[in-house]
Amino acid sequence: MTQERDWNALSDDEFRVIFREWVDANCPEHLRFMRKQRPTFDEVAEWYHALNDKGWLSPVWPVEYGGMGLDAGKHIVYVEEWARLGCPRIPDHGIGLTGPLLIEHGTEAQKAEFLPKILTGEHVWCQGYSEPGAGSDLASLRTQAVRDGDDFIINGQKIWTTLAHCANWILLLVRTTNSDKRQHGITVILVELSSPGVLVRPIKNLREEEDFCEVFFENVRVPAKNVVGDVDAGWALAKTVLGHERIFLGAPSRPEYALTRLEILAKDRGAFEDAAFRSRFAKLRLDLYDLGSAFERFAKVLREGGTLGADVSVLKIFCSELYQRITEEMLTVAGEEARFYDDLMVGDRGIDAMNLYLDSRAPAIFGGSNEIQRTILAKAVLGLPSG
Amino acid sequence: MPRLILDDPDQTLEMLRDSVATLAERVDGAEVFRSRRARDAELDRDLWSEMATAGWLGLLLPESMGGSELGAGELTVLAEAFGRALITEPFAALAVLPGRILANIGGAAAGEIATGIADGSRIVPFLWQDTRGARAPMTLSAEGTLSGQVDLVTAAYAATDYLVLCKQDGELALVHLPARSERFSLSSRPGLDAAMIGQVTAKGVSVDAGSILARGATLDAALSDAIEMTRLALAAELAGVGAKALEETVAYTKERVQFGKPIASFQVIQHRLVDMWGDAEFACAAVTNAVEMMRDATPEEAGQSVLAAKARAGDSAVTITRRAIHLHGAMGFTDECNIGLYNKRAITLNAALGQAEELRLEFLARETAA
Repeated sequence: MTQERDWNALSDDEFRVIFREWVDANCPEHLRFMRKQRPTFDEVAEWYHALNDKGWLSPVWPVEYGGMGLDAGKHIVYVEEWARLGCPRIPDHGIGLTGPLLIEHGTEAQKAEFLPKILTGEHVWCQGYSEPGAGSDLASLRTQAVRDGDDFIINGQKIWTTLAHCANWILLLVRTTNSDKRQHGITVILVELSSPGVLVRPIKNLREEEDFCEVFFENVRVPAKNVVGDVDAGWALAKTVLGHERIFLGAPSRPEYALTRLEILAKDRGAFEDAAFRSRFAKLRLDLYDLGSAFERFAKVLREGGTLGADVSVLKIFCSELYQRITEEMLTVAGEEARFYDDLMVGDRGIDAMNLYLDSRAPAIFGGSNEIQRTILAKAVLGLPSG
Repeated sequence: MPRLILDDPDQTLEMLRDSVATLAERVDGAEVFRSRRARDAELDRDLWSEMATAGWLGLLLPESMGGSELGAGELTVLAEAFGRALITEPFAALAVLPGRILANIGGAAAGEIATGIADGSRIVPFLWQDTRGARAPMTLSAEGTLSGQVDLVTAAYAATDYLVLCKQDGELALVHLPARSERFSLSSRPGLDAAMIGQVTAKGVSVDAGSILARGATLDAALSDAIEMTRLALAAELAGVGAKALEETVAYTKERVQFGKPIASFQVIQHRLVDMWGDAEFACAAVTNAVEMMRDATPEEAGQSVLAAKARAGDSAVTITRRAIHLHGAMGFTDECNIGLYNKRAITLNAALGQAEELRLEFLARETAA
């Protein structure tokens, strides 16, 4: 496989122009700035396939596997322009999770089997980590896999599995050994969701969308060749896969979009005439500006070839909390209208205040809740003692 | 731990940091703070001379004015180091602000005064605000006499010269006068950070035409730029104060044992410390951004970045140091404990040239107008 050119040989600005022009010309208008944060594969399939045909579906995978092979700096440009142009999020667990994990830790056979099918969209992946009793405390997971000849037999339950009902494969963390050290005895295994004994049940979220699911496993037989890495040693694999992409949990695009909506609504409703509102708006505006400065400080580390430390999650905390404060302000500006579930009208244009408000509840929870992040930072960055 | 991260190809910035650190080994900032307070002094003359000798007072000035002709990066690293070392001499008010105004105006007269600032021989406060911060309260009559009252003056008594921003026929003028005149009357009040704050009343001080250094558009431009650079210095110093107060507090909470454990092991304390750390990181990132924008962006964008940096660093330092007092418990409420001094310094620097909310509203107004 090849790319049309060596993207990393370009400057970030040159790459930005090329990337933006093509994306703007090729991402369908009706998919821009979708209300839905997590559209299903079918809803965005044409965009997914267009990206793959261009060779731009997978920004970070090495070129030999069909990726663009972008360095971290170019990847940041890719993500920034994607957000600026309002492109929809594609079901990306294959691109962002299973693919990198296999490239790093998979066998040649696994890579040959799975990577091409991620790119064609034949395999749509979901991530089976959380369980009813294992959320923030992920290492307490109990879904069990027992060896039986050439197979493992899996029993247990996953939950909060995003888009599992639209996926056909799941990257599963299972317990293969019960050990005093809970991080030991966890294994990564690839499971086809059409296997007998798998049941997927969507859960309706606060926005009345079905974008996460429960997944039940009852005596599900999975070939042992689907184990990634070594049996019992999956914890380290599951924790390392994010790498430099942790920076994107703090990318300013969500609060930035919400602030533009707030500004439109506030202008129309006359809120800027109120000095108290102006002060609050100015605070939100500057928080967004300063988030950009802080994001840039970490992006610069990546551009200069460095690696991110635990401290990058300060972005995730600040970004998710800012997003919430902006959407809460939208409800305040809405006044009596805050009771409406559908869009607030500014002329003939809808402002999805309630949609954004509800959406903003999630990022403070997923990817490690903000409280978990603070506890990690306390130890990793400030060196504070354990309780 | 949070600090400014700037490109430093020839290690100038690291050398500046080291030289302040070397001074701080000999001179205990907290001790100077307390002795200045005990004497009702405006500044510490010995320390000020050392700062002049080190070349810090003329850092930004052109070589023709006895300066080092360095830029925003060096300025912020130096001010950050002062903040960290609790060196609370009036660097921004007596070196950066008047020096920058004079450098912007240029010419022989301004150059001579600026040279004196750089070598420490002249103390030249800028007389330009009333008690509430309104600009140019003094007036210059058509006959050339200066009258009125200014407040918030740094080193009113120690001054050798005054730079006065006054109004003449509704237009701004910048006047240079020797500080010794019977027609100036002085008073002062204690400042929160152990420096006396002066009030100067002029009762018909005669000003000859040669003492008027600038007027009109030249003066407006010189002043805006100088305010911007001084705000940047204040922001950097605030970032240093906040970061150091955080470090002191982390160290203290690791040592302080209650219920058989260091209090830093309690999650409620940990999360507060992490939030303080996040504030300090954002302050440093905002100042770094401003330095980079001054180098790379348009003047308008650079101006916005400085407003953001001063607002962020001011808010952060005041909040961090206030929480730091609390986390030191009763000890933090004593005068003996240094942590309170960081809070006093943070409030003082934050109050100068616009508190956070005012700066944010200015940012918004400029953005809306653009």
